[in-house]
Amino acid sequence: MPATAQSANAPSAQGLRQLVLELPPETSFLPAAAAAAENAAQAFGLDQRGALRLSLAVEEFFAYLCRHGGHDEPIRLTLSDGGTFTRADFRFLAGEVSLRALNFAASVDLESDSGDDAELGLLVAARTTDRCSLSRSGPDVFHLYAEVDRAYSEAEGIATPQRLTPPLRLEPAPSSGALQHAALLAAGRYPARLRPHSFTRPERFADMVDSHQYQALLALDAADHPAGLICWRASGRRAVVFSGPYVFSQGASQNVSDNLGADIAKLLTEGFLARVARTETLCAFSERPTADLPRGWFEALGSLTLHGPDPDGDGKTGVEQPAFYRHLREDAGAAVWAHAELVPFLEREYDRLAFSRDFLSAKPADPARLPAHSLLATNLDRQRSMALLRPLLDGRDFEANLRAHVEAIREQGAEEQGGVDILLHLDLSEPWQGALAPILTACGFAPRLVLPNAGASDILVCQHVPGNS
Amino acid sequence: MSPAIAELVPEYIRAFEAYTPSRPDPVLMRQYGVDHLHRLNNNENALGPPPAARKVIEAFQCDRSAIYPSGDCYALRLALAERFGKDPERFLVGNGSCEVIASVIKAFCEKGDNIITADKTFAVYEWVAEFSGFEARLIPLKDWGFDPDAMLAAMDSRTKILFVCNPNNPTGTWWDRDTMERFLRGVAGRALVVIDEAYCEYVEDDRFPDAMELMERHPNVVAFRTFSKMYALAGLRVGYVCGQREAIDYIRRTHIVYSVNSMGQPAAAAALSDDAEHILATRRMVADAKALLLPAFDELGLHYVSNEGNFIMVETPASDSLIYRQLMRRGIMVRTMTGFRFPNWIRVSLVQEPVMRDFLTAFRDVIAVVAGGAS
Repeated sequence: MPATAQSANAPSAQGLRQLVLELPPETSFLPAAAAAAENAAQAFGLDQRGALRLSLAVEEFFAYLCRHGGHDEPIRLTLSDGGTFTRADFRFLAGEVSLRALNFAASVDLESDSGDDAELGLLVAARTTDRCSLSRSGPDVFHLYAEVDRAYSEAEGIATPQRLTPPLRLEPAPSSGALQHAALLAAGRYPARLRPHSFTRPERFADMVDSHQYQALLALDAADHPAGLICWRASGRRAVVFSGPYVFSQGASQNVSDNLGADIAKLLTEGFLARVARTETLCAFSERPTADLPRGWFEALGSLTLHGPDPDGDGKTGVEQPAFYRHLREDAGAAVWAHAELVPFLEREYDRLAFSRDFLSAKPADPARLPAHSLLATNLDRQRSMALLRPLLDGRDFEANLRAHVEAIREQGAEEQGGVDILLHLDLSEPWQGALAPILTACGFAPRLVLPNAGASDILVCQHVPGNS
Repeated sequence: MSPAIAELVPEYIRAFEAYTPSRPDPVLMRQYGVDHLHRLNNNENALGPPPAARKVIEAFQCDRSAIYPSGDCYALRLALAERFGKDPERFLVGNGSCEVIASVIKAFCEKGDNIITADKTFAVYEWVAEFSGFEARLIPLKDWGFDPDAMLAAMDSRTKILFVCNPNNPTGTWWDRDTMERFLRGVAGRALVVIDEAYCEYVEDDRFPDAMELMERHPNVVAFRTFSKMYALAGLRVGYVCGQREAIDYIRRTHIVYSVNSMGQPAAAAALSDDAEHILATRRMVADAKALLLPAFDELGLHYVSNEGNFIMVETPASDSLIYRQLMRRGIMVRTMTGFRFPNWIRVSLVQEPVMRDFLTAFRDVIAVVAGGAS
């Protein structure tokens, strides 16, 4: 089977560069995959160290897929320039590969006499990257991603008060310099948990906007001074999550009555919604909502109790972070799969939010019909000390696997103040996920929020409550 | 591994969101647990078609369903020609005006071209341009209306069409004759100007310009009109474009024939023959509805935009999609305006008094419910 490569100059969906290789699943092509990753990473702007980290991850992932995958299909490796990072994406068919080792918490039996150290290699590879995750794009199609970030220097936020003069206007396409200035003004006025980490690496934030990872709107005053900022990013195909609005008038973020601040926040919020209104986006969720979010523009979904680190040094733990939502369409109704145990919570939430939903009864599958091993995807945000679990495949070991994940995440976060907050997203369009409720309860998870239309139908957010299991 | 389907699709299609129409009434009523549904979302004329059109529809012979309709709406074009005193070849009829929007864009635009319209207007101009791979330059409204100077300033050598919705849906604002003339002089024949007059029959002010007359002095003007609004034939889907013969000849080359059904064609022609009393009655209904709603909105302290057309926009103290869902639970369907880039506004069709009273009762109730509940 020949190896093929496509032009590195062809723009990807975001207009960025990418290199696509179809490699025979043979270890003799391992140096080719690793060399392509290293070279592409350097061409995409990573330094030598970053390029080597990505190359190592690609080498380990490729070796794993060669050893455990089928040999009928080539492995597709896409190396892409994410603007602020380089991504290696392996696309493969699930049926060909033992997926167990792709679980974040898969145990590695070092005493095994199989002589196969591929699983250990995967764990090593995952930890050399900045992000590593697994997703499913079809019934049998999985993607394994590894990303390594470019290095950016850090800067102090700007807390200096500034006097702003109306009239205000929106700048829909702010320059890199204006974005960096605004990010630092927000960093100087808002606590870390309410702003993207990149605000203190302002060049990175501007590059993220430039490469469409974020979109941003800037409010300017009469003298073109930055007056406020709001930014958002895609979350799945149909939703966006926003951070802000950040208001740079004097009373903002200090609970001081501030009419100009309210005008800035309204202008930004209205502009943000107008920008996403005629796109494929169905709904907007808050990611880091500030107190400046105008009243009446979003629906309160509830809150999560976050115990993570205390980056602001104010000694607060167990902060209630509200979640806000806005549907950008007229709701067409939906059906959700739910175990009887979930129904009272869901009925209460849907009634409160006035959503029309049909409940379909989700019952656990006969264990005899399930594969031995389940699969969970884990996204660990080390800066926020937050882990997000998403069930990808059911299996007879689901409960044990989930407990192992919780344990592994808690061990990872043991050194963090407050520990790691563990969330789990249940896709209620999947009957087997709707049926997981008793297992989640047994493992210490409690339902907290419904995210309407966040997936094929709705997503239920469950939070692990330490001591519950 | 074979490529994903998405890799075969142009980026401008991948990025485009397909329109999702509302579900049928019985489905919605079951979903929202109501035994009735007043549709106030599509600006339909609740009086129904004029009597002559109604007779045609009632007399429609079932056997005619087996026969193709007139492929080019021959008789209807003759009726339009007689009504407006023009050559029948200057009319092109489509399956609603949405079809003729697509035909005009296909006829005039090629790769690299752009169209110009407003950011907060009927969305189909923008949608058709974008899913055809052309740039839609969207000019912000000024004082709720189209901004002629900004539209002219946005023109360049690749601008092929300017769409002016007059009166504008959803704000009901309109350009008077002087403004339109000044604008057309500014365009100076460099691009086609589409004047969409879907709601023109609702306007009584004699300063309102008539695109049918303008096109005689400005050959780059074409007019869109529809039988879906004033004539209450929305379910039969009949709209048309009229312009100079040369322009229509080019548009016809991209237009699908046989797209207008056998009942719609004679019903539309009949509606033209019998519209005077119908138009007066509809205007009275709209005026009565405004007289009921506007003081109520004032009393609730809500901003509204009420100009020409059988609709009104009102600003809500909560997300328009939440207001929609709450009203649906009370058997009332309105149009959310976030999709028109007016977040936190709804648009309400103006219909007969009993339904308007039902709407007001439900709306007051919903406003009270959401007053303390949203963020």
